[in-house]
Amino acid sequence: MSSSVLLVVMAGVFLLLGYLGVPVAFAIIAGVLVATAFTPVSFQSIIGQLFHGIDSETLLAIPFFLLVGELMSSANVVYRMIALAQALVGHLRGGLAQVVTLFSMFFAGISGSSSADVAVLSRTIAPEMDRERYDRAFTAALIASASTMANLIPPSIMAVVYGATGNVSIGGLFLGGVVPGVMIGVGLMVYSYFFGPVGTMKKRASAVDVFVAARGSALPMVIPVIIMGGILTGWFTPTEAGMAAAAYILLVLIPVLNARHIRRLPGDFMYTGLLYSLPLAAVAGASAFGWMLAYLRGPDTVAEYISYYAGTDPRMIMLLLVILFIILGDFIDAVPAIIIFMPIINKLTQVGHINSVHMGVVIVTTLVFGLITPPYGLSLLIASKFVGVPFYRAMFRSLPLYIVFFVTIAFTMLFPDVVLWLPKLLLPQSVGCFPNPSGAGWICPK
Amino acid sequence: MANVTDFAASRALILERHRHLKWKWLDPVEAGLMVLCGICIGGFTVCVFFDVTTRTIGHPWLWLQQATTAFFAWGVFIGIAAATRRNDHIYLAEITKRMTGMKRRAIETFNRSVVLVVAAFMVWFGYKNALLDLGSFRMPWLIPLTVYTGIVPIAGLLVMLFSVEQIVNGWQHGFEGPEDDELLREPVE
Repeated sequence: MSSSVLLVVMAGVFLLLGYLGVPVAFAIIAGVLVATAFTPVSFQSIIGQLFHGIDSETLLAIPFFLLVGELMSSANVVYRMIALAQALVGHLRGGLAQVVTLFSMFFAGISGSSSADVAVLSRTIAPEMDRERYDRAFTAALIASASTMANLIPPSIMAVVYGATGNVSIGGLFLGGVVPGVMIGVGLMVYSYFFGPVGTMKKRASAVDVFVAARGSALPMVIPVIIMGGILTGWFTPTEAGMAAAAYILLVLIPVLNARHIRRLPGDFMYTGLLYSLPLAAVAGASAFGWMLAYLRGPDTVAEYISYYAGTDPRMIMLLLVILFIILGDFIDAVPAIIIFMPIINKLTQVGHINSVHMGVVIVTTLVFGLITPPYGLSLLIASKFVGVPFYRAMFRSLPLYIVFFVTIAFTMLFPDVVLWLPKLLLPQSVGCFPNPSGAGWICPK
Repeated sequence: MANVTDFAASRALILERHRHLKWKWLDPVEAGLMVLCGICIGGFTVCVFFDVTTRTIGHPWLWLQQATTAFFAWGVFIGIAAATRRNDHIYLAEITKRMTGMKRRAIETFNRSVVLVVAAFMVWFGYKNALLDLGSFRMPWLIPLTVYTGIVPIAGLLVMLFSVEQIVNGWQHGFEGPEDDELLREPVE
């Protein structure tokens, strides 16, 4: 069997089994094992790849960022941040919708998981939106859309996976994600203001109320400072920054703000222990898939195909990749998609002489859009289940919000200087800059 | 709308969801796996904490990094086994939930058979890998790589056990359950 046919068989078996209801990790491995049967590669090396795929210090950051999100939501500490968001934007038209978006921006700076964001919002603000007679489909669509920021505004689990598998600076990816993350947040707030439900109009909070709310949420708001401050100063790796944030919550936040929760901590650890294994099981399977893909020269085949149409034009290459990943994001979870297609992304990054951090931010921004698109829009699926509305209704209500994502993706793709402004400013070496040998400052590639 | 009870239920040590697909005597195994999941994530959190602390004070304990990797890898594979019994894995689609009768029975059996076969591969080839890894060592304490990779066949064995449990119970009691329409599931990206 030729390599191209085997590639199609491998991908076909994975998608067929996945859509029949086999868990993603097992569907991926089954696809790889079927392809392996027609190659000289041993099954033993494929099974070995399952372990080697997760044997990475960088991937340790994933459980820590999940743990941080779970501890924050389980200990109910997030209420203070919601109160701050309410004090700041609760008086605007569509007040609770604005609160959802602003809180998501805050929470995105703490947790790297969109699912954690959806779970928190569905349990806290969604019932209030229901009482104020917001359309449930709109509530689900907005919560799901806002939760995507968790994977753009640092810390981001997608950025960790991208950086770990593509050998790209995770700090650079974190900083590069800020612009598209904020753009999505602002876009959702603008949409809610002009086109969303009005909700109950409230009085603007007084300066004293804002101060009280800010003081109440001061302790939780230290977490983004610990994470990004630690990484930017070089004090912590992303993994260690995640641990430091978890330690801060365990040793300071919970004892001070909700001491009664301490006896429930073993439960939080057990649940998070289970939670982190789920994406990493997909990582293990996807790394075996990526290995076999490389063996079958898949990256060369796809890269040649894209290069045929795009030549070496970086914008055209990115456009074709964006289209590819929008389609992929509709069907596959982001984490395995990144790992499986990383060899192709790397190849095309070289062909188009694209900055690897810029490429990473574009890919991650495209993949977060997949979290709200059918049939596999994970955030929208969870939000519609939690809010209690049929998936198709939430999907139709989220269609106008797609514009926000299209604009953000296009902007991220077309304006690399804006996207890379923060990484260049705060972490120049992450985007290929090096210290000027003849004086102060940095020399950066164009 | 999801409430606090649902939230708590999804975090229980032994999940009551899909009870009709479970044997009571395997409940302690599920509970044990959940405890191990907690120990693993707690273990590597403590290890990374002390790794940073000892490095900062200028006396790094190098073995902590090995312990961290071991806790991490074991946690992933133990979690895979626990998630199989709790039906907590990530799914691309859950089309079977909308099915009933023989059609559902056939597809559910097929899906679990696929998991069973993949798990069997994990057991046999993972075992062979573990034997091979007895000759490979990790620095600086020269711990055999088997200590890390040995969990692959163990997890495979547990996944096989849970798949058989679900297939047998599914044929006895049917795969349909009251929770098919409920909101207890809490998938994770």
